[in-house]
Formats: sequence, structure tokens, C-alpha cells
Amino acid sequence: MVKRVLAIILILITGYWLANALAQVPFGADKMLVGKYYLENVKEQTGAVNAVTAVVVNYRGLDTLGEVTVLFIAATGVAALLWRKKRERTAKSEGSVVLQTGSKLLLPFIMLFGAYIFIHGHLTPGGGFPGGATIATAFLMLYLAFREYEIPHNVFEPLEGLAGMGYVAVGLIGLIIGGYFLFDWIWQTWQLGHANIGRLFSAGFIPIIYTLIGLKVGTELTGIVDNMVKEPKEGGQ
Amino acid sequence: MEEASRISRYLYTVIVLFVIWLFLTSSLDPQELIIGALFSLIVAALTYEVFTEKGLANLHPKRIAYAVAYVPYFLWAMIMANLDVAYRVLHPKRPINPGIVECKTVLRNNVGKLTLANSITLTPGTITLDVKGDRYFIHWIDVKDATVEGASENITKPFEKFLKVIFE
Repeated sequence: MVKRVLAIILILITGYWLANALAQVPFGADKMLVGKYYLENVKEQTGAVNAVTAVVVNYRGLDTLGEVTVLFIAATGVAALLWRKKRERTAKSEGSVVLQTGSKLLLPFIMLFGAYIFIHGHLTPGGGFPGGATIATAFLMLYLAFREYEIPHNVFEPLEGLAGMGYVAVGLIGLIIGGYFLFDWIWQTWQLGHANIGRLFSAGFIPIIYTLIGLKVGTELTGIVDNMVKEPKEGGQ
Repeated sequence: MEEASRISRYLYTVIVLFVIWLFLTSSLDPQELIIGALFSLIVAALTYEVFTEKGLANLHPKRIAYAVAYVPYFLWAMIMANLDVAYRVLHPKRPINPGIVECKTVLRNNVGKLTLANSITLTPGTITLDVKGDRYFIHWIDVKDATVEGASENITKPFEKFLKVIFE
């Protein structure tokens, strides 16, 4: 009881501090210093209509590379923590015919929609991470509907690595051509898609990187799901 | 059920996915069409084995005509069933007589069974609880006839005359 009261008092005090600090910033006032630069130059400098994508992949590309690394470490960590030689699915009963047929029918649509999200990253909200997560959902659905389902590991794990390496390779080519890592060589040097702003083939290397990130995130999250739904075989520890 | 050839199933999946892509992008820009075709080919290659059993036979004109006719028919059944449930909710005596009945279906195809189960659930007053073989277990808000034949006559028959042509 005393513990709970103390915790509530502490939370109230912290909340008051935060509210006080935020009250110093008038709502709706122009606070953009760097933001203005992004909004004014995003089209000529990157070719992307979606300013968020341009910031995430182009202006601050290293952050995205870091995020991809974090996700990779998370997937590897889960695999390392749950590693056992003999593991099998834990589901005890098969899904009903309605569930199984429904997930079979939905699978291609979810995958296509995931691809739609990541290829249109420079035009519409979304990008590699939501697209990849959508694709992983399709496999999660199969895992939930079918007891025996297992992803083709010999395809998924190499694909995950290749997509990650592809991202770094695109950055390294930029280093060679333009002088710094993740330099957008397709847009700046080759000038590809300059006549096309707002259409699909534009925005330099953003669609390429987002395709790679989409594949990587999709396969990685699926791998995490795969690890989590299995448990050691009885007696086979 | 015999399966169609792999090529026919693959082509059918590609066509369906490409049509979906056209609806998603709602643009006929050649760049969108190229990428859409490419993605349809790739996704179809990965998924056609689970997606379809009959392949291009699904695109038989008679089937498409029945599928198009089924949409307004089903929407009408849905509106009437919703009004019926609204009447039961608003009625002071709440005239309900709930129960679980067993129905039989003539459908053999799994996709047909799925559509029938969803049609039954989406028309209020009836909910599909489980499907086992050709038996449907349905929760009915107003049980008029508890026998298998009678319940089928009331619940599954009206949809089956369409679904039989579309999926069998």
C-alpha cells in the first residue's frame, strides 16, 4: 500500500515537471531550423516526394543503417538464446478449415501489399520497415494456421544476409564515387530519374535501399517468429 | 478434386495479383505497370502452390458472372438480416430463441466452404462456429427448425445455389 502511494506521488511529480517543461514551448509556433532546409531542398537534392523517406534514407542514412543493425542483432540474439539442436512446433491442434483456407487465400495479397509499401517508400507513407513487417505478417499467419509449417531456411537466411550486405554495398559505391558513405550516386552522379519526380522511377537509391530493407526486415522478423514458436523436443534437450 | 496444371495455376495467380496491383496504385503509368507486373510474377512464383487449385478454370465466364451476381445478392441478404436483428434488439420483448444447429452443405471445395462460412457469419443472426467435412455448426439467434435438413434449407441453401457454380 505504502509502495503504491509512493509510486503514484512520484509519477505525479515527474508528470508535473514534464508538463512544466513542455509548457515553455508554445504550440504551433515555427520551430523549424533544420526542418525548413529539408522541406525546401528535398526535391532537388534527393528526388523524393516523401520528405520523411528522404531524411531517413538520404540525409540521415547512417541512422537507418544503425536501425537495421539493431534489428539484425535482435534476430541473432533471439536465435542464440533459443538455440537447441532438436526443436519442433508447440501447437497442439490444427486450425479449422476456414482458418487454413483463409490464410492460403490471403498469403499472396499480403505479400504483394508489403512489396507495394516498400517500393513506394519515396512517394507514399511507409517504406522498408512497414513493408517488411507486412511481409513477415504473412508468414506469421501461416505459422498460426498450420501446425507443420516451416519457412525454407536455406532461402531465408542467405537472403537476409545478402539484403543487409546490399545496403552496405550501395553505401560503399557512394563512398567510391562521391567521397562519403551512403552518397546517393544514382541521383547525384548518374542523374537517373531527374525528369520523373513524383513517379515510380525516381528518388535515386531510395527505392533500391527500401527494397533491400524490406526483404531484410521481412525475413528477419519471420526468423524471430520461427524461433519463438518452437520449443525443444521432449526429452531431446 | 483434381488439380490444374502448374502453369495454369501460376498464370491465374499472376493475373489476380496484377489486377489487385492496378486497384492499389490506381494508375496506368507505364513505370507502375512494369514494377507491378514484376512483383506479380515474383509473388505468384512464391505463392501459387497454396493460392489456387483450379488455376485458370476459375476465370470461366459463367463463374465470373455468378460471382458478380452474388455480390448484390449477398449485400441484400446482409441488409435484410441487419434490419431483422435491429428489430429484435429494439423489440421490448426481445423475441430471440437462440441455439446451435447443424447444417449440411453440398460444397466440396475448401474455398467454397470458406466463402459459405463467411457469408453465414456476415449475415447477422447466424454465426458459423465450426466446419467439419460437410457439416456446419451454426449459432442461430432464432431457431425455426432444429433438424439438419430444415436448418440447411434456411441457412446454407440460399447461398449455395451461387457458390456451387462459382467454386465447384
